[in-house]
Amino acid sequence: MTGWLGAVTSTDHKRIGLTLGVCSLFYFLLGGVFALLMRTQLAQSNMQFVSDNSYNELFTMHGSTMIYLFVTPMAIAMAIYLVPLQIGATRLSAPRLCLAGMWTWLCGGLVMQQGWFASGGAGRTGWSSYAPLSNGTNTPGVGQDLWVVGVILAAAGMLVMAACVVATVARRRAPGMSLLRMPVFTWTALVSMLMVVGAFPMLVVVMVLLYIDRHGGHIFTGFEGAIDYQDLFWFFGHPVVYVMFFPYLGAAAEAIAVNAHKRWFGYIAFVASIMAFAALSMAVWSHHMYVTGGVTNQYFAFTSTALLVPAGIEYFDMIGTLIGGSIVLRTSMLFALAFFLQFLIGGLSGIFVASPVLDYQAYGTYIIVAHFHYTLFAGSIFGFFAGVYHWFPKITGAVLRERLGKLQLLVMVVGTNMTFFPMFFLGNDGMPRRVSRYPTHPGWGTLNEIETIGAGVIALGVLTFLINVFVSLRRRVPAGDDPWLGHTLEWATTSPPPPLNFEAPLPPIRSYAPLLDLREAEMDRARRPAEVPAS
Amino acid sequence: MRGGAIPILAWGTILLVLAVGNWVWNDRVVGSGAASAAVLIIYGFGVAVWLARRREALRRGPPEPRTEPESVPQASLAAVGIGVSAGCALFGLAWAKFLLDFGIALFIVSVGRLVLELRAERASRRAARGESERA
Amino acid sequence: MQVWSPVGAIQGLIDTRTEYDHLFSIYVPIAIGVFVLIVVLVLAAVLIYRRRPPERAARWHEHNPLEGTYAVLLACVAGFLLYLTFTAEHKVDTVANQEHPSVVIRVSASKWEWAFSYPAYGFTVRSGVVGRQPLVVPAGEAVRFEITSLDVIHSFWIPALRYKHDAIPGSTQIATLVFRRGVFPGQCAEFCGLRHADMIFTAQAVSPAAFATWARSRGTAAAP
Repeated sequence: MTGWLGAVTSTDHKRIGLTLGVCSLFYFLLGGVFALLMRTQLAQSNMQFVSDNSYNELFTMHGSTMIYLFVTPMAIAMAIYLVPLQIGATRLSAPRLCLAGMWTWLCGGLVMQQGWFASGGAGRTGWSSYAPLSNGTNTPGVGQDLWVVGVILAAAGMLVMAACVVATVARRRAPGMSLLRMPVFTWTALVSMLMVVGAFPMLVVVMVLLYIDRHGGHIFTGFEGAIDYQDLFWFFGHPVVYVMFFPYLGAAAEAIAVNAHKRWFGYIAFVASIMAFAALSMAVWSHHMYVTGGVTNQYFAFTSTALLVPAGIEYFDMIGTLIGGSIVLRTSMLFALAFFLQFLIGGLSGIFVASPVLDYQAYGTYIIVAHFHYTLFAGSIFGFFAGVYHWFPKITGAVLRERLGKLQLLVMVVGTNMTFFPMFFLGNDGMPRRVSRYPTHPGWGTLNEIETIGAGVIALGVLTFLINVFVSLRRRVPAGDDPWLGHTLEWATTSPPPPLNFEAPLPPIRSYAPLLDLREAEMDRARRPAEVPAS
Repeated sequence: MRGGAIPILAWGTILLVLAVGNWVWNDRVVGSGAASAAVLIIYGFGVAVWLARRREALRRGPPEPRTEPESVPQASLAAVGIGVSAGCALFGLAWAKFLLDFGIALFIVSVGRLVLELRAERASRRAARGESERA
Repeated sequence: MQVWSPVGAIQGLIDTRTEYDHLFSIYVPIAIGVFVLIVVLVLAAVLIYRRRPPERAARWHEHNPLEGTYAVLLACVAGFLLYLTFTAEHKVDTVANQEHPSVVIRVSASKWEWAFSYPAYGFTVRSGVVGRQPLVVPAGEAVRFEITSLDVIHSFWIPALRYKHDAIPGSTQIATLVFRRGVFPGQCAEFCGLRHADMIFTAQAVSPAAFATWARSRGTAAAP
């Protein structure tokens, strides 16, 4: 099948990944518009730029769009595109299932956004949509129903796609590619997809129960019901934030290793730590429930604080990769370094709120908003851009402009920190989250105004990126197979890769950096004749 | 395929250890239940992968080269139909009955199409194997 | 097991503000220290190893004994932080609620107002969308709050006390707090619908004598 129909029904993993990625990028822009509207309202105290109901829809849809329709599916898209290439496979396992999953997700996104046209409005109870607020009595209307259905569809689609990636890693590695020779990005993608498979079913379950609850079923009633909802929701809700972290960590790690001309340091420790980190992420969820009085705070404080151990290993490995390398400060490298440094602020604030007594102040305030935006935006999205600048040539055959890229980075670093750093102070001073307006308090107006300007600066940064993509595709600078001296198998094929990924035979696979191995062997061979006297 | 089930089962085991911690310290049955369910799901996945290739799935070491001809589907209208029908049906459930009916009908048609696609793939694989045997 | 005596304790009562400040004063400097260390290491590495020719890039790529030692160190840091946290949490959640309160206030949250009842005196004050009557409390004494909700989940938060607790329908949550003298804003901290932003109250902590006078006069005014 050719043409549009062929493109839309293609079971080529590169097509599926690219379609999923482009759709996710569109939702990034949509969610960003929601954020800009929110920040306009909050620029000054007691402002009513939008109605209270609209504001509540905006923050709900901003969070839901970003989480269900951008960051998570984009991570899955990168896995679908890159994992088969990195493991030397010609195709994905169960590609039809993956394609069906993508279309289910796509429908989920559209259904969720349909709520904007409903009479009561779109989903408006927060992306976490706590019961009993989200039940039929307190938030009636088809808009909220469509939100629930949208989440169910999107979650089911992502679940299915993730399962296909895991099956691919299990079954389609090239000859020689043992598990401990898989690239760093593939490992981060694998643990992320495992978390999806393990945790997303709970999201589907709780959303189905919520739907029934909204239509006459008395499911989440009373104190136990309210806590049950949160228990089930956060059982999904915590792992998902690590799904939204690990692949971008992997992308940043690949960018750093390649741009340091040195293989990633501490591979075994890294693999062990991300396996432990991912598993631990499924044991910490009730730290979102410290203030309810309904859970064992001390147990979850223990598991949540323990997260600093694997996290520390990852930073150790990053620094170990930089030391002794030959460092080139390309845009992808700069984004990757920014990812590590900015994510650190998010991670450290996470250890802060892992302590119940500190969380009793921070929860439900702008401290939490700052924390998760530092991890997800200042962290993961910068890792995303590192991956984009690193792999764009492979996917499209053209390089992105370096100067525009560095401008984008600079603008985004300024905008991001302007927007999210003051939130720590606002939250500690008493500003709760999810408020459509705030009263006049000394300093609040100024800090909020800075944040709103920062959001505008971020928008300029994103615009710079879009311009870069447009210009780079219009006036192409051909990339060739391997513009960066890559380490892993995706660089051993054409840019973009042919339908079956590899036309020439694969290089020998003896480590997690097969192309670097080849290059080092060649360097050694080139050196040897000078050292050995001619016989 | 070699060792394919190992990372899944290994991760499931780490989850099991943490689930035990949960049973001991977490007061809530719902929470412990969720943790146990996740362990079962992951182990189930690992077992499914193991069932596909038995001994190979648990052996350590690099995979061997494959000799059998592989079929690579190029496109699948059925898959798109199944995905879209799920979306239509649930959208219809929340909003309008005609969409629900349409979704169910589309699902049935798509499953039919899927059967045809799988049959065609099996036929082409048989043909390719026949050719390689004759060659 | 009391191993740490709170600095500036208010007559031996557990003070959420002090507990928070103490933990904060340890967690935050550690966090800042870690951040600065990593930034310095990264910047140094980037500056030192920039523009070396790729042939000179090192080939070594692991050191498991070093990483293992480092992991153990991290575990010790985690253990230290956990010890501090468990101690503070035990105080705030358990010990505080075992104190004998000088006044009990029932907090009923609903969309979108707070109803503070003083059962011993027989009256209720309200704050939120309906208006702003102050929550008056005696300073320097244990005040017990019995917190519930009449509809959805709300959260009773007084930022100056560094403490909040959810108000969940179908339950009564207990929190025992101690106030210094002053006026402290309070706000709902769990999204509860359309006018969540307006669910504001003000706590006024006055001397115990002034509180008793105020409460008795409100009580007689409320009596039939």
